[in-house]
Amino acid sequence: MSKQAKIAQQFARQLFKLSVADGAVSAERVGGVLAYVEKNRPANPVMVLRAYHRLVATELAKSVAVVEHAGVVDDALLATIAASMSKKYGRPVAASGRPNASLLAGLRVRVGDDVYESSVAGQLSALASAV
Amino acid sequence: MSTVLEQIEQQIAKLSSKAVKKNTGNIRTVADGVAKIDGLSDVMYNEMVQFPGNAIGIALNLEEDEVGCVILGDISQLKEGDEVTTTGKLLSVPVGKALLGRTVDALGNPVDGKGPLDAKEFYPVEKIAPGIIVRKSVSQPLFTGIMAIDSMIPIGRGQRELIIGDRGTGKTTITIDTIINQAKINKVGIASKDPNFRPVYSIYVAVGQKNSNIVRTLSALEAAGALEFTVIVAAPAADNPANQYLAPYSGAAIGEWFMENGMDALIVYDDLSKHAVAYRQISLILKRPSGREAYPGDVFYLHSRLLERAARLDGKGSLTALPIIETLAGDVSAYIPTNVISITDGQIFLETDLFNQGIRPAVSVGLSVSRVGSAAQIKATKQVGGKLKGELAQFRELAAFAQFGSDLDAKTKAQLDRGGRIVELFKQPAFAPQPIELQVSVLFAMQKGFFDPIEIRKVVDAATSMKSFFTTRKDALLTEIRTKAALDKDLEAKLQAACEEWKSSYSA
Repeated sequence: MSKQAKIAQQFARQLFKLSVADGAVSAERVGGVLAYVEKNRPANPVMVLRAYHRLVATELAKSVAVVEHAGVVDDALLATIAASMSKKYGRPVAASGRPNASLLAGLRVRVGDDVYESSVAGQLSALASAV
Repeated sequence: MSTVLEQIEQQIAKLSSKAVKKNTGNIRTVADGVAKIDGLSDVMYNEMVQFPGNAIGIALNLEEDEVGCVILGDISQLKEGDEVTTTGKLLSVPVGKALLGRTVDALGNPVDGKGPLDAKEFYPVEKIAPGIIVRKSVSQPLFTGIMAIDSMIPIGRGQRELIIGDRGTGKTTITIDTIINQAKINKVGIASKDPNFRPVYSIYVAVGQKNSNIVRTLSALEAAGALEFTVIVAAPAADNPANQYLAPYSGAAIGEWFMENGMDALIVYDDLSKHAVAYRQISLILKRPSGREAYPGDVFYLHSRLLERAARLDGKGSLTALPIIETLAGDVSAYIPTNVISITDGQIFLETDLFNQGIRPAVSVGLSVSRVGSAAQIKATKQVGGKLKGELAQFRELAAFAQFGSDLDAKTKAQLDRGGRIVELFKQPAFAPQPIELQVSVLFAMQKGFFDPIEIRKVVDAATSMKSFFTTRKDALLTEIRTKAALDKDLEAKLQAACEEWKSSYSA
């Protein structure tokens, strides 16, 4: 990593810390941070904002359970998954459905870096790698 | 009955529908066998991670917002954005007797075309070395079959003895001789059905070597019938640096299995200079801070944690390590040589000048040392070879001094003659290790002056004749020396008589 990239990364991290309120990213604070950056342009604004974007996106992904499904998933099931994940991670997690026919059947739930695999496609690939 | 079946079916249904949790990340960059990954928030240091296309990696750099992994396997199919998952496992290699006679890569996969391995157990590649309490001092000899080493720089089971020298001075040959000698001893010991006999299994780790050299070593071991007691771990020069970095640790894991299961093993790291270079390459790509000669700060720990795994364990077996270091222009004070010298329990230094003078093995007696000393020698060797190192040192000093003058007193001349004969006696062809009982017999003859009337240039022939005389006609005497391992009055008399008999039959 070049020195410029390192400085941009450090600055983005500071901005990210300012964007978090009560353990979650606050839209209001993000707006404030963006306004500040526009007013006081840092040395490498694109680099800083890209790094900031990545940090915010990573944090936001932790609060959303992306439910990939091959069949039909109703709102009640999504609410159950959201409640279960909120309990597991100790923070509010919202669930959003995303159809994915390649799963064949079953679900795949992604919360941040964690993936809960219970799809047929996942089981088949696990079986294939085990054989 | 049907309810029972339903219960089982329900259980199966429950199990098969259970969600599996995986921690994932995405490749940000891939270059030179190293991937930078976003995510993998649960990854542990040294954990195996799964890349697409069956390539695996090891997490070596855990940074605030990315993970640096070295990739083992084919990286040509990997691209930015590919998903990577943690496995929750440390890198392990197959271990056990099923590996004997086989050649495997750094991950324990067979590369010799002899089919899959039938290994039942796996050992982690990285393991903490045995502690103080479980260790036992080194006191059992490990015979190399090389007279100059066994008599003056003895190696014990559980010892770490460095073999150091310039390129082409016979470093690998010494280790191959040692492996062949172990196989010979094993065959004799197993045939004798002695319940106290402990065979020594060998592991040869080739790091960054040419494939042709590895094949040559393999052929030498096969020709000598030593392959059946040997495991070869190959990470040749064409392999990626990650495999070259891992190969010694994989070899150590294979050796540890023998040690933990009450057996003795010998491991050769050929060589650790190239291992350090491979590690430097990985570290620089991982952007770790570099220090002296661009090696990373933990290059000492790289070798110390590897060599500390060689030990003699109380109530179990032992693992003896023979690391090899290649020097440049005989410079033993370079960074990596001094590091490894300080870690090991002694070194065998091979000199280019001696090699070019035809003194092979080119062991420099002055610079070579075994810190275990005579504790790793049988009594018979101590009796006949105890003063050899001193005599040779005196010889070298006098020989240097004698160059300036022609008039020498009788005592000095006798010392020079004797030294010259010892040097000749220690000459030994490659891949022909000598059993210890034969070494004792020849050294006994030297000590008693049987070689004194022979011209110095004919000492090698005379020694060959004596060895052939002992092996063909005095087999019972050799067996007695081997079993007693010490020379009592009776044995000395028998040896004296045998030497007299040889002397009367030998004509120079």
